[in-house]
Amino acid sequence: MTAADPKTPLFAKVLVANRGEIAVRVMRTLAEMGICSVAVHHAVERQAKHVILADEAFELEGATPVAAHLDGGQILRAALAVGADAIHPGYGFLSENADFARAVTEAGLVFIGPRPETIRLMGDKISAIEFARANGVPVSPSVMPTGDLAAFLAEAETIGFPLLIKAAAGGGGKGMSIVRAASELAEAARIAASEAQRYFGDGRIYAELYIERPRHIEVQVLGDGKGGAIHLFERECSVQRRFQKIIEEAPAANLPPALRDEICAAAVRLAQAASYANAGTVEFILGADGRFHFLEMNTRLQVEHPVTEMVTGIDLVRAQIEIAAGRGLPMAQERLTLRGHAIECRICAEDPDNGYLPATGTIRLLEYPEARHIRFENALQRGHKVTSDFDPMLAKLVVHGRDRAEAIERSIAALGDLALLGVIVNIDHLARILDHEAFRAGDLHTGFVTEHAEALAPPALSEAERDRAIIAALLGSHELRELMAAIPEPHASIGAWRN
Amino acid sequence: MAMILMLEGKPHAIEILRWRPHLVLRIDGRRHEITDIDDGRDGHRSAVIDGALVRFVRATDDDRCHLRIDGRTFEARRRDPRDEAGGEDHAHDGIKAPMPGVVVEIHRQAGERVARGEKIVTIESMKLQTALLAPRDGVLARLKHAAGETFDKDAVIAELEPLSGEA
Repeated sequence: MTAADPKTPLFAKVLVANRGEIAVRVMRTLAEMGICSVAVHHAVERQAKHVILADEAFELEGATPVAAHLDGGQILRAALAVGADAIHPGYGFLSENADFARAVTEAGLVFIGPRPETIRLMGDKISAIEFARANGVPVSPSVMPTGDLAAFLAEAETIGFPLLIKAAAGGGGKGMSIVRAASELAEAARIAASEAQRYFGDGRIYAELYIERPRHIEVQVLGDGKGGAIHLFERECSVQRRFQKIIEEAPAANLPPALRDEICAAAVRLAQAASYANAGTVEFILGADGRFHFLEMNTRLQVEHPVTEMVTGIDLVRAQIEIAAGRGLPMAQERLTLRGHAIECRICAEDPDNGYLPATGTIRLLEYPEARHIRFENALQRGHKVTSDFDPMLAKLVVHGRDRAEAIERSIAALGDLALLGVIVNIDHLARILDHEAFRAGDLHTGFVTEHAEALAPPALSEAERDRAIIAALLGSHELRELMAAIPEPHASIGAWRN
Repeated sequence: MAMILMLEGKPHAIEILRWRPHLVLRIDGRRHEITDIDDGRDGHRSAVIDGALVRFVRATDDDRCHLRIDGRTFEARRRDPRDEAGGEDHAHDGIKAPMPGVVVEIHRQAGERVARGEKIVTIESMKLQTALLAPRDGVLARLKHAAGETFDKDAVIAELEPLSGEA
C-alpha cells in the first residue's frame, strides 16, 4: 500500500469503537472507500444497526453496555484480534481518551484522531485556555484553580459578576453554574467542586466572566499534524437545553464577514500552534458586542459535523481517514467555499414540555422523509428499546437549503414528516423552535429556549383538533371494535342512542 | 355504553351512535361523522372526519396508542382503574420516579416534615440528574430506595404520611 496512489485503499480494515448513529455514519464512509468495517458491541446490542451494517462484528464483555464501550484495553485487543489497521473512535466514549489513543499507537495501529498529547492538552480546560492565550487566541478573563479555596474566591471576585464556575475536567454542563453576586460565590464553588469530583474524579474548578446572551460559535478545523491547518467555516450551536446543544447550523446567522474571518483565523492559529492532526473543533463564546472568547477545543469528530459537510461538500470522516493515513489535507483553504445553509436537529428521547425529562420506551413506528437535501442520521429500528443506558439522543435530522430561510422551511417540513412513535421525543418542540420569529431572525443565544419557554410550549388544542386526535386514536383499535360489537345489529345502522 | 379515553391526561367520553353506512360517534357530546377510513400501510392511515380528510400515523404499545396527527404527537389510552383510584387524599402521597434510574442523593429522612416543592431525593437517569420534590406539605413516611439503588419507571421512591382529617 502506498500513500501516493489515491486508488489504493488507505487501510484494509478499520474498527469503529462506537455505537449508534455515529458508528453507522463512519461505516458508511468506510464502505464508500472500500475499507472493511468492524463493529464492537455488548451482548445486548447483537441486533443493533451498527452491528448488522458492519462487515465484521466483535462482541465485548462488560457489566453494562456503556462499560463495554469504555473498555479501551478490550477494544484494542479486539482490533488486534480481527487484524484491523486503525481505530475510529467516533465521538464520546474513548474519542478523547489520550491513554487509549497512545495505547492504540503503541500497539502499532493508527488512531484516527489527534496525537495523544494534543488530546491531553485540550482535554484539560485549564491547559487548553493557557495554550490559547499563549497563542494569541482571545480568552475570557478567568481565575485558575488553586488548592486554596479562599484565595480562589478572592481572586474570582476581582473579575466581577456574573461569573461562570466550571469544572476543569468538565463537559456537558456538569459542575457548571452562574453566580450573580459575591454572596453566592462560596456556596456555588463548593457545589461545583463536589459535582466535578463526583463526575470527573477531579474536583478542580475555575471561574470566568459570564457573557450575557452568549452565542456558541465553533469552527471546524482539519490539521495535517505538521503545522498545516485549514478551517471549514463555523457552526452556530446556540440553541441548547441543560447546556447541551439541540439545534446547530452552518454557517452562523447574521455573522459579519469580517468577524467570521477573525474567528476562523483564530481557530486555525490554535490548530497550527498545536501542530494539530486530524479533525477538531474550536469552540468560542461570542458576546453581543462582537467580542469572542475561546471556550474549548474538541479533539474529535463533532455530533453536528454533518452541517459542515453539507455546506462545504467535504466528507469529514473521509478527511479524517486520509489524514490519519498520511495523505494530508483534502483541500487548500482558498478552494473551500460555502454552499447554502444547513440545520441539524437532534432528535432526543425526552419530554421538552416537562423539564426535558428523559423518556424510555420501545420504538413502534419509524417514518422519516427522504430527499437529496435531507440526512436522517440514525441507528434506529422498529422494536428498538430506548433505555436509560445511553444518551437520550436518538437521531439527527440534517437539512440543507439554498439559504437559511429555505433550510428552516425544509427542516420544519421534514420534522412534520418524521414520525417516531412509542417513546416521547422532542420533534414537535424542535419544529416550534425553528418556527419562532426570533429563530427565523437569527436572534440566538444559549438561553434561547428558556427566554422563549412560553412561546415554545405546545399550543392549546382546539376542540376540533382534540376530537380529531381522539378519533384517530380510536380508528382501528380493538376498543372501537368492542364498542361496535356492543351495538345490537338492528341498531347498528339506525343509531342506538337517538334522543 | 360509553368508553372513556384518556388524551393528554384528560378523560373523554366516547359513544358510538351507529356504524352503518358509516361511523357516527359522539365525543363528550359532540357528534362526528367518519367516512373513507383507510387503514393504509405501516400505520399510515387517513379518514374523512366531518367532511375533511385527516391523515395520521398511529402505533399501539400494550395499552397505549401513540399518534402523530396535525404535526403533533399524542398518547391515548383507555381509562383504567388507576385513574379512578384514590381521590385527592391519597393522590399525592407517593413520590414516583418519572423514569428508570438510580438514587444519587437523599436530602430528607423519614419522619421529617417537608414543605411542598422541597427536594426529597436526587435521581439520575441517562446521565441527567433530577430532583424529586415533595408534592405537598407533609411528613415523610418512608424512603423506599437507598442511595445507589436502581428503580424502574413509576416506582414509588418515597411516601408521605397520609393527611389526617384535621382541617
